[in-house]
Amino acid sequence: MAQLLFNGLVTGLLIALPALSLSLTFSVLRFANYAIGAQITLGAYAVYLFNVPLGWPLLLSTAAGMVLAVAVGLLVQALAYEPLRARSSVTRLVASIGVALALENVVRFFAGNSPRGYGVEIARPLRIAGLRINQEQITIMLSVLVALVLVWVVFRFTRLGRAMRAVADDADLAAVRGIRRGRVVAMVWVLASALATLAGVLIGLDATLDPQMGWNYVLPVFTAAILGGIANPMAAVAGALTLGIASELATLVMAPHYRAIVAFLVMAVLLLVRPSGLFGKQWVAK
Amino acid sequence: MISYLIATSALVIIAAIAGLALNLQWGLGGLVNFGLFGFYMLGAYVCGLFSVWGAPPLVAMAGAIVLVALASAATSLISIRLSEDYLAIVTLGFAECLKLFISYEEWLTRGTLGIPGIVRPFAAYVPQGYGDAAFLGFAVLCLVVVFAVFERVARSPFGRLLRASREDPAVADTLGKNVLVLRLKTFALGGAALGIAGSLHAFYYTYIDPTQFGTIITAYAFMAVVIGGRGSNVGVLIASFTVIALLEGSRFLIDVFPVLDGSQLAALRLFLVGAGLVAILIFKPDGLVREYRLRATRS
Repeated sequence: MAQLLFNGLVTGLLIALPALSLSLTFSVLRFANYAIGAQITLGAYAVYLFNVPLGWPLLLSTAAGMVLAVAVGLLVQALAYEPLRARSSVTRLVASIGVALALENVVRFFAGNSPRGYGVEIARPLRIAGLRINQEQITIMLSVLVALVLVWVVFRFTRLGRAMRAVADDADLAAVRGIRRGRVVAMVWVLASALATLAGVLIGLDATLDPQMGWNYVLPVFTAAILGGIANPMAAVAGALTLGIASELATLVMAPHYRAIVAFLVMAVLLLVRPSGLFGKQWVAK
Repeated sequence: MISYLIATSALVIIAAIAGLALNLQWGLGGLVNFGLFGFYMLGAYVCGLFSVWGAPPLVAMAGAIVLVALASAATSLISIRLSEDYLAIVTLGFAECLKLFISYEEWLTRGTLGIPGIVRPFAAYVPQGYGDAAFLGFAVLCLVVVFAVFERVARSPFGRLLRASREDPAVADTLGKNVLVLRLKTFALGGAALGIAGSLHAFYYTYIDPTQFGTIITAYAFMAVVIGGRGSNVGVLIASFTVIALLEGSRFLIDVFPVLDGSQLAALRLFLVGAGLVAILIFKPDGLVREYRLRATRS
């Protein structure tokens, strides 16, 4: 039982980063970014590129991979989303599925379909207080927590974070007060791509890399974000943890490969009962 | 060469029917169905299973149409009162879960082994060697029926109401129209067409397994609607028979570019679909053909 809860916590933390990224883009840009899965995949492979073919250590590769993924994120924003800025959010939604398809297949083109892994030693799991804890799980917990704290600090205490919150609240009012939307949007993509990359690396460490890896996370990530109230970035983290634990506990009654179905059921019930999310109050679009 | 043409045409016709279904749901109704491939897959599996259990092909197809329509209506109910963002993720969730279910519930669907030996309609009356040609004829017939029905729907008061609720659900609501029921019907009607498309898929290949179904089916349908022009059934047909025919035809380019292997070529094709979708949204947002009654007023 404790083991299940612990595993659920780790699963939840893995979902937390992309869920945060998703609700960040949603709250500032007002569209659901379906390319989040492809961004995870792209980030994971960008890190792989530095880690295995070039032989850099994983930490350095992660940093380099983030830079690469951020560059791609900004490029996509400039090429795809910026021209669609004045159009309806549904148009950008559909565009993001196109972006997802394009990014995922860039990865397929260069890396092929077979699964890969990072160049890390396989370590023996630790046993602490009766819990079986993998080295990867510790890495996941620490990195996610550090990333979350960093994002929280940026969001809460910096000028940039205040600008982001202002644009998210009311873009026109923010513009009147002299906040440059372009810069804020660019920073949102920088953060969102970096978070997706980190998630990709951690998912790759936890399992393997394959071009589908990110796509498989789209459903849980969206569920977590909706659970938290989609326009509320920090609540998305709480949503992710709830979902992670729920899906691990569900393995008591369902086969483990049906985790996605748990996510779907959670989402269905939630949308019927409390569409504003567990923690959100505003922004229920009708 | 002939068999190659027949193969491409059959796939294009199936894609066109899926495109028409999406055009009703999204083009006319503004309801984003990202899980289109799930409903299509459900249609193929219901039809395939009924057929393997001994039902005549047309009965199996009718079963698929009814069940997919019901499943569409039920799925849309979950979120249909919220904005499009939610409907998109709910339909996608349905599709992904259905694919998981079909891949693992081997007692019902034989899992990844797939279902072989699906019988095509009128197979007993077709002389040996003309099976594909006869199938093509049947598929064309289905396409004509779906097109005729949807074109009627688009020009009927129901279609007008649908366009009105797409532009502003609150206005339609205020005028005493029940938007929820309207959207439910739209989703069910589109689902029926997806049941037809899925059945044709099962009949064409006579063998189905979960790997045949994926986001690419959804992406093709969106391509067809976006290129053709949202809301225009004629546009969807034109888009299907040009762009999707080209994309499908490019499967066979492998002989021309020996440098790239098969999976790279597939990746390249899907990349083009994705990038193309974005490009059309940016540069040709109205598509090829205007929606019925959506014309600039002449002064």
